Amino acid sequence: MEREISLEKELSIEPVISAEREASELFEEFKELTASEFFRRNKQMLGFSGKIRSLTIVFHELITNSLDAAEEAGILPEIIIDLKRVDKDHYILYHKDNGPGIPEDFITKVYCTMFAGSKFRNIQSRGQQGLGCSGCVLLSQMTTGRPVKITSGHKVGDKLKGVEMTFKMDVKKNQGLILDKKEVEVDSTGVSIELHFKDVSYSLSEQGAFEYIRRTIIANPHAKIIFRDPTGHKFIFDRATDEIPPMPKEVLPHPKGVTADDLIFLAKHTDKRRFRSLLTSSLSRMSNKRIDEIEEITGIDFNKRPKDMKWEEAEKIVELFQSMNFMAPPTAGLIPIGEEQIEKGMREILEPEYVKTITRKPKTYKGGVSFVIEAGIAYGGKSGRVVGEQKKAEIMRFANRVPLTFDQGSCGITEALKSIDWKRYGIKDLENAPITVFANIVSTHVPYMSTGKQSVAPEEEILHEVRQATMKIARSLQKYLNAKRAAKEEAERSKIFETYVPLILREAALLAEEDAPEYHEVLAKVTRKSKILEDIHAK
Amino acid sequence: MLNRREIAINKLKGLGAQIIEDVSSRKVPSVKVPSRGTSNLVYDDEKRYYVLGDRYGRRSLGNVKQIKKIAQMVYTANFCKDLIKTNKTATLRELYYISESWDKVDFGDQQESNIVGEDLEVTLGMSREDLGLMPEEDGASVYGNIIIKEDDVEINALKSGKSGYTISPTIDDTEFIDHDVQRVIAVETMGMFHRLVQEKAYDKFDTLIVGLKGQAARATRRFLKRVNEELNLPVYICNDGDPWGFHIAMVIISGSAKLAHVNHDLATPDAKFLGVTASDIINYDLPTDPLKDIDVLRLKELLKDPRYRDEVWKTEIKKMLKIGKKAEQQSFSKYGLEYVVDTYLPEKLDAM
Repeated sequence: MEREISLEKELSIEPVISAEREASELFEEFKELTASEFFRRNKQMLGFSGKIRSLTIVFHELITNSLDAAEEAGILPEIIIDLKRVDKDHYILYHKDNGPGIPEDFITKVYCTMFAGSKFRNIQSRGQQGLGCSGCVLLSQMTTGRPVKITSGHKVGDKLKGVEMTFKMDVKKNQGLILDKKEVEVDSTGVSIELHFKDVSYSLSEQGAFEYIRRTIIANPHAKIIFRDPTGHKFIFDRATDEIPPMPKEVLPHPKGVTADDLIFLAKHTDKRRFRSLLTSSLSRMSNKRIDEIEEITGIDFNKRPKDMKWEEAEKIVELFQSMNFMAPPTAGLIPIGEEQIEKGMREILEPEYVKTITRKPKTYKGGVSFVIEAGIAYGGKSGRVVGEQKKAEIMRFANRVPLTFDQGSCGITEALKSIDWKRYGIKDLENAPITVFANIVSTHVPYMSTGKQSVAPEEEILHEVRQATMKIARSLQKYLNAKRAAKEEAERSKIFETYVPLILREAALLAEEDAPEYHEVLAKVTRKSKILEDIHAK
Repeated sequence: MLNRREIAINKLKGLGAQIIEDVSSRKVPSVKVPSRGTSNLVYDDEKRYYVLGDRYGRRSLGNVKQIKKIAQMVYTANFCKDLIKTNKTATLRELYYISESWDKVDFGDQQESNIVGEDLEVTLGMSREDLGLMPEEDGASVYGNIIIKEDDVEINALKSGKSGYTISPTIDDTEFIDHDVQRVIAVETMGMFHRLVQEKAYDKFDTLIVGLKGQAARATRRFLKRVNEELNLPVYICNDGDPWGFHIAMVIISGSAKLAHVNHDLATPDAKFLGVTASDIINYDLPTDPLKDIDVLRLKELLKDPRYRDEVWKTEIKKMLKIGKKAEQQSFSKYGLEYVVDTYLPEKLDAM
């Protein structure tokens, strides 16, 4: 909710286009500006800045949508993506999922109406601002002028109902404009969408669409994605687990996590009669006893109707929240990926020599927002990224399972990881090690740095957790590397004995002018073969 | 009594037998190698030279860092045994090259093979010449009335040309047949050697003249020891008047630290240093050069060396430090070419 409000605020500060025009004239234009129209003018706010980034964001929005839909319906997600290049900068994207599908009446709402379906929910979600799919349609339309084609199959009772629809987005009205619609036969549920784009670019770089898919699979090992790239090469990213993650539960916001703005919003959209009952039912850890305390200190009448709440009063209450002691927020709403699942994901994609993962216990930042940090470290195999002839370390950042592939430099996760003294963990040069470091923050409210939502704010508690989590698994890696080194030395050692003992005894016998004795027992004595590596693999 | 050759072969065989025996009794074989570190060097007052102390290291077949060294030792021992049996010798350089054919046991460089050679020497208590390993360089030149038998050849060192008889690395295989001298005078440089020959010093002093050519080779020292002990001839050494000349003399007299394990075969404790001393520089008013920093440093080192603790040495070293000057043997030419033979040597020999 906070995000939506802040976007609305941004609406009101739309820059003056020309100083020549009168204020009233401008004001009229503001009123007419729909969300769609606003984003048409400010597409970078949807993340569409730069050719590579634009395409990655499209992939992100569509994949995220498909995963959420399938999980909500209890279906193991399977996505087929086909990216064709028609011309330089001109691509056709075909994206098909196996989710529950969308009933006919909702199709244009999902794909053409900005902010559709988003309501005040304090829930851990991949979804960003409810702009996702409609943003992609908007970009397609803006760059190519072409309509969108969608086929959706969904269940009605036991029957499968399919519809094929071609539509455009009416930007002025923030809604869809259906051009063609017909019922079709479908053999399964799910949505497929075909979009044209120009001004985008497919890249294999860390920021590109391919890497986005790869990372998505690591953090979502229950998903399967089949991707055909513009050269026609088909990549099958298979699922490493058949467990569908449980759906996150909605949890009430913690008093320390709300703003005056939030309180006013709550007050406007409630059906509660009194402010008191609104607060106890909308916030966690909020009892009547607490309300009494607040009433006494602030002198505000908590029995009045929520709609009568004034901004100044909301501010006063929020300020007071900060100095009061509340129990930590409930953490039931947080569903981490889990150590085992991350490991499966990393093993599937990175085929590493060694992997270690960790899911930390929930913590809170800013006193009221709970979060969980998960980390993983993979060594060897396909870990790290190949730069020229060399392997370089790579950091994979995630927020609620969603890969963050941009703004790495400004991200708190990066900052925390770089602040670790890697030498202490036997990694002399992190930059040039075949290592992939995975870090995921799970929260109902990830503190992003900017509207692009690609970097996490360096909140002290988050930095601490990322460091602790990573240091713990780095220690395990160090143990592995040490044992590996020891085993290697041991093997070399054995080899030396196997080489020299027979030679020495042959020559010694020659020297003594005697027969060479049976030496295997002595050889076995000195060549005590290592079991260290075997032990590791047995684990 | 066994000759040196038979002793060497028996000791080499013993090294192999010991390893075989350990293996047969299911022990991990190891070889006891006396330590050659400076901490294991002891100056033996009675013998008047350096000897090795009691410390030793064990090279075990069960030690990954030592096993290659043991292999090299055994291979080298076999090579030496063959040399002795076939009556041949090889230089250390040849040993190094021979090892090229030893699969996985070859030496990385000659330094490595030299060290293994020395290991074998100390382990068996034999000098490397006994093991058939010879140094690259020849020994000193000898001029004077002595007849030496090398194999079947008799050599008269008075009739071997102006440069005299060259001491062979296989000096232990030679025999002294006859001589007619009273003493041996060894000089540092061949320049001085030729001066003494030309001035017929061998005649004037009934002496053998030995041209050391700098630091005395092992064969030279062995020769000096043998003429001293077998023929009962006093040995005098006459070198440049600087710390380096002093030390060339001292290594002949008291042995070197590096070869402490064979000093019993090399040191000639009764050999005497004739000069040039610091006192000579003053008494004969010789032309001098100032001491360089490195000379001063070396002189101070010598003062701490137990081989120089004799009062005469201490006084001379201190005197040289005090005057800050050094002089070469050939500086006597100041008084004419004959001076050294006609005046200096008789005076010095008289004083002895």
